[in-house]
Amino acid sequence: MLRLMAKRLLGTASRDIPSRPLQILPRLYHENVIDHYNNPRNVGSFDKNDPNVGTGLVGAPACGDVMKLQIKIDEESGKIVDACFKTFGCGSAIASSSVATEWVKGKSMDEVLTIKNTEIAKHLSLPPVKLHCSMLAEDAIKAAVKDAEAKRAKMNGTLKGADVKSG
Amino acid sequence: MASRLPLLRRISKLLKAPPPAPLRSSRRSLALRFLRPQASTPDVSPWSFASARSFCSGPLNLPQDSQGPAPIDYRSVLSEDEFHGLANSTIHDLQEKLEEYGDVVEFDGFDVDYGNEVLTLKLGALGTYVMNKQTPNRQIWLSSPISGPSRFDWDHNAQAWVYRRTKANLLKLLESELEQLCGKPVNLS
Repeated sequence: MLRLMAKRLLGTASRDIPSRPLQILPRLYHENVIDHYNNPRNVGSFDKNDPNVGTGLVGAPACGDVMKLQIKIDEESGKIVDACFKTFGCGSAIASSSVATEWVKGKSMDEVLTIKNTEIAKHLSLPPVKLHCSMLAEDAIKAAVKDAEAKRAKMNGTLKGADVKSG
Repeated sequence: MASRLPLLRRISKLLKAPPPAPLRSSRRSLALRFLRPQASTPDVSPWSFASARSFCSGPLNLPQDSQGPAPIDYRSVLSEDEFHGLANSTIHDLQEKLEEYGDVVEFDGFDVDYGNEVLTLKLGALGTYVMNKQTPNRQIWLSSPISGPSRFDWDHNAQAWVYRRTKANLLKLLESELEQLCGKPVNLS
């Protein structure tokens, strides 16, 4: 139903009014958000038990948004080679986490920690009330990196010690 | 309101233990409960909740140590009634003071609006502030054109709303930002 509404609104906008920034219909979803909603990138799940996978889970169902963002780290280079997400929430939350998975790919863990919610919000032209979604996406990235680093530390600890199974 | 207690217990159970294989029906009923519109969420009408996509096709089997910030049981921090009392008085107070400020400043495009428990302050081309209650977290959420999104918790010792990450005080933050944007100082305390 949302898709239909969005198409109708977009159709009306493009027919009657030349394309201009959001002044005309401030409550309309930006085309980037609709794109991510219709063509979501990287939806899925990695094996959480994989030592090279970091999982970030943020939000709470009661608040309306839950994001799970997972990153796959290359053992040797320490870079993020793949990312996926699953999000429960509004279109802006889905788009924010989708953008996050796109942006973390190919970067190092330190680099992705510099991704700011303001950049995500700007890319999606999020209205003021939806800025919190972009912050949640930033938190999801941080949580995933934290988890990945913790796992790496655990692994290194195990390798240094004897054959003791940790965790 | 009373139905939230068993719901939250179920969520914590779900996250702690891997759910049994034929879970879809019970999880779907859980998901449907989540889709019930929350009074504290602004700008979302009931129908958009029903059509909000859930990309969770499988159960969320998440390890316990994968969380970022530790989950706090907010019900023990502040009761819901207490929260509403505090938050409502803060927001209404702000609404009055901002309306007075609007008269003083004579800023083109200055508009204060309060509806559906959401306070919106428009500053023309300079941007819009949105403030609302986030009852499940016992927080006041603010969206600022300068500092972006922030979430304020009630600090009982300071008797103020404080954003934990930056230690910012809600009223002080608004005072400094408004002075920056509109040129005239304002007292919101």
